[in-house]
Order: sequence, then structure tokens, then C-alpha cells
Amino acid sequence: MTGADSHLFDAPGPRAVRRTIIGSGVAAVFAVALIVYVLMELSAKGQLSAAKWSPFLKYDLIKFLLHGLAYTAGAAVVSLGLALVLGIALGVGRLTRTAIIRMPCVAIVELGRGLPVLLSMLFLFLAFPLAFHIDLPAFWTVVLALVLYNGAVIAEIVRAGVLTLPKGQREAAFAIGLTGTQTMRLVLLPQALRIMLPSLISQLVVLIKDSALGFIVGYQELTAQAQSAALLFNNPLQTYVVVGVVYILVNSVLSEASTYLGERQKRTLSQKVVTAGDAVTIESR
Amino acid sequence: MPDSLIVLDKVNKWFGGLHALRDINLSVKAGEVVVVAGPSGSGKSTMCRTINRLETIDNGTIFVNGEPLPAEGRELAKLRSEVAMVFQQFNLFSHLNILDNVALGPMKVRRQPKAEAHQQARDLLVRVGIGDQAEKYPAQLSGGQQQRAAIARALAMRPKAILFDEPTSALDPEMVNEVLEVMTQLARDGMTMLVVTHEMGFARRVAHRVVFMDTGQIVEEAPPEAFFTNPQTERARDFLGKILK
Ligand SMILES: Nc1ncnc2c1ncn2[C@@H]1O[C@H](COP(=O)(O)OP(=O)(O)O)[C@@H](O)[C@H]1O
Ligand SMILES: [Mg+2]
Repeated sequence: MTGADSHLFDAPGPRAVRRTIIGSGVAAVFAVALIVYVLMELSAKGQLSAAKWSPFLKYDLIKFLLHGLAYTAGAAVVSLGLALVLGIALGVGRLTRTAIIRMPCVAIVELGRGLPVLLSMLFLFLAFPLAFHIDLPAFWTVVLALVLYNGAVIAEIVRAGVLTLPKGQREAAFAIGLTGTQTMRLVLLPQALRIMLPSLISQLVVLIKDSALGFIVGYQELTAQAQSAALLFNNPLQTYVVVGVVYILVNSVLSEASTYLGERQKRTLSQKVVTAGDAVTIESR
Repeated sequence: MPDSLIVLDKVNKWFGGLHALRDINLSVKAGEVVVVAGPSGSGKSTMCRTINRLETIDNGTIFVNGEPLPAEGRELAKLRSEVAMVFQQFNLFSHLNILDNVALGPMKVRRQPKAEAHQQARDLLVRVGIGDQAEKYPAQLSGGQQQRAAIARALAMRPKAILFDEPTSALDPEMVNEVLEVMTQLARDGMTMLVVTHEMGFARRVAHRVVFMDTGQIVEEAPPEAFFTNPQTERARDFLGKILK
């Protein structure tokens, strides 16, 4: 049992333990039976055959899928960078007292959060060439749609981050003569961004998954590449399983990183006392 | 009142229906140390905070250096840098080390070069007795050290006056004196100070004048010796009875 569970529940007594064991046993039997059944059916239909799975050992297919992964990563990283810029601008904009700045920011945030990423992609794909007489490259169609949605989400994270800071931070900044803008830039934002770091990494997971929608507009990211490869080798099921595993692996690494950063942040203050104390004694020697 | 650095003239403030400051008249001369005492909720913090406009007032006028308080913008920011403030909760910037806490204002408000601002910050930290803590972060310091760092941060702006709002109330008892000593030294050096505090020993030794507030009013104003030995109002006697027992 993990630490989190033991905080939520009483330690189980003997009867609860017995019930848990029996319950788990029954569930396990059903699960195994289901898996065996599915595998038998798949096998009967030739889905577990070497012909279906061996292509994944071929250099060309691996390279083809890695190309997709690189495109996925590219769109995700560029989108995160731009979404961060947009999110900070919108988040700070929403916190200003000037209605002329605040209102448009509110509008964009609501639009970005409300509109499905898929729809923004299609809209950009269809409307951009009509409006500007050039095609928007697939990469930018994907990135802009992702930036709109994630920028809006990050704007809300930024706003919440700034609002959770103690109000004394703002007052102390004012009291030494910083202007409102300086206070935001030098005192509030740096602290809010630190608090936000784990949420930002979680947002990267969302971005990576949403980038899969890029195949709709012909962006050759991982899911699109999987679709093409599956046609070629006539093994769609197998390809999607492999690609699904890749997504899960990448995203769970990122989730772990975000949890780790969150935990470290909680410990930082107490840890810093020790490390800096050491540093000082070393220095003064 | 040409020689008064800070003047409050018939100042009133309401929080909704609560009349938090009632016709406050107060003037503080350059070099003067004024202690503000009074029961909790009597408006001491509010009065203090109106002077650098962390709270706005509803009517009356506040003058600093003969000029009415600017309402906004660079002028207000400039005024705030000239009237420094030390808070009960220290309010050091938690993402900056102590040196940067002290040097931030001079660099960003006064546009001092970094080397100069850092040198001044180090000197000030030595002056408040924490010269060896410069590289640490606020959370690594004791309350007393944090408050002394906050005083150094205030001094770094070379203010004309410093407002203290219960600077020792959040401290463990054994750390109160180290902060009071720094404040006493500042007073000796001629700093103009408005100090909200319950430290009556400090008031006796250091203040030129004690201002007693109750329910948003200044009820009594006297030199410390006279105030402590011979309070004129029932409310002040009551208060002193509670606090000095
Ligand atoms: N921001 C605020 N909003 C509403 N009421 C406030 C606010 N700040 C202070 N008050 C009220 O104003 C009165 C004076 O408060 P304060 O100046 O903090 O008193 P003191 O510092 O003497 O304890 C109190 O009744 C307090 O509850
Ligand atoms: Mg108070």
C-alpha cells in the first residue's frame, strides 16, 4: 500500500484484509480469463502471427515511426514554448486593472479553453488559405491550434499562481518603490512560475497527446505515421499497440518528472537550510 | 508645520461601514521617533499604511516633505521609495537571496549599477548584524534575522523616514531584542521613525513621543515618560493597565 492510500483510509482490520484478498482473487481470475479469451480470439484471426509483428524489427519502419515521434515532439515543444509566452501575457493581462487590456484577455482565454483543438485546427486549415492566399504549413496549423488552447490553460495557471502568493510580497515590492509592472515582472511572476513548474510539465503531456490530432491536417506526427505504416504492412492493430506504448512511455516519464519536481519543491525550503549552511561554512574556511 | 516630514491632516478612512480612521491629525518632524500604541483593531496599521498609500484615504490630506501624496504612477513609486516600510511578517522576497532582496530596490528603482548596489547591500547587512547571511534565502533565516534583513532592505533606499508596523510581534521572544537593538541604533543615527509597537520598553527608551489610538482616533499624544506615568484618558489607563501588568 502506498503512503497516499494510508492517509486516506484506516489501516485495514483482519476482516477487511480477508475481504480484500478474496475480492482481489476473484477480480484477478476474471481479468486473466478475459485476457486469455482476447488473446485466443486474436490468435485465431492471425493477429499474433510473426508476419504481423516482425515489421517492427525492420530499420525502415522504426525510422519511419521515429520520424513521427520527432514531429510530435517538435510540435509539442514549440507549442509549449509559445503557449508559455501567450499564457503569461494573457494571465498577467487578466490581472491588470485596466479593462481595455483585461477584457480582450478574458475573451481569448475563454475562446481558447472552450474551442476543441480539433476544431481550431480545421478552422485554421480551411480559413487561413482563404484569408491570406497561402497555405498554412501543417506544422504551424498544429502548433497554432495547440498554442491557442494551451496558452489559455496556462494563462489560468499563471493567474492562479500569482493570486496564491501572500499579499505581503506585492506590498513589500510597492513599498520599496517598484512600479506595478516591475512588481509583476521581478517579484510576482518569478515566484508564480516556480509554483507552476509541475503543472507546466503536466500540460506538456496534454500537448503531446493533442498533437496526435495533427494527422487530420496532414502533419506527419506519430499517429499519422502509424496510420500510413499500418496500411503498408496491413497490421493496424499491432501498429497502434506499439505507438500507444510509445505515447504511454513518453508521457509517464514526463508525469514522473512533474511529480518529482513537485515533491522537490515541497522539500526545497528545508533542504536549502542544510545545503546553504554547508556552503557558508565551506566558504568561510 | 514647515519642519514636519510627515503630516496627516483630518484624515478619514472607511472600510465599508467601518470608520477605521477618524479625523487623524499627526505630524512627525525629521529625526523624530514616534511610537503608536493602542489596542488591536484601533487603526494603527491602517494609519501607517496610508502614509505610503498601501491604503487610500477617503478624505483629508497627507503631506510628505510638504507635498501631498501622489495618487499614482512614478511619483507614487518615488514617494514610496522615500518612505520605507517594515512589516510585521517581514515580507522578504522568497525567490531572492538576502543580498538580492536588499539590492533589488536600488538597482531597479534608483538604477544603481549592480556592483555598487551589492556593495551597499553588504555594508547594510553588516550594519544590521547579518553580514554572513547574504547568500542565504529568506526561509533559511530565523525570524529575527529576516526582520533585520527587511530593515536593511528598507535602508537601502536611503529613505527619509521608515514606517514600522509591529516589527517584533511575529518574533519568538528571544529574537525581539536583536531587532529592537537595530531599531534603537537607527533612532540614534537620526532616522525619522513611526513605530507601531507594544514594546513599551523601547517606547520609553527611544521614542520622542507616544501616540495612543483607540477606535480609529488619536486619543492621546505625549512624551513617553508623561504617557506612561500619567496617562490623561481612561482608555489609555485601561490599555496600559493591561499591557504593563
Ligand atoms: N482591508 C480591510 N478591509 C476591511 N476592514 C479592515 C481592513 N483592514 C483593517 N480593517 C479593519 O479596520 C480596523 C483597524 O484595523 P488595523 O488598522 O489593522 O488595526 P490595528 O493595526 O490597530 O490592530 C479593524 O477593525 C480591522 O478589522
Ligand atoms: Mg496592526
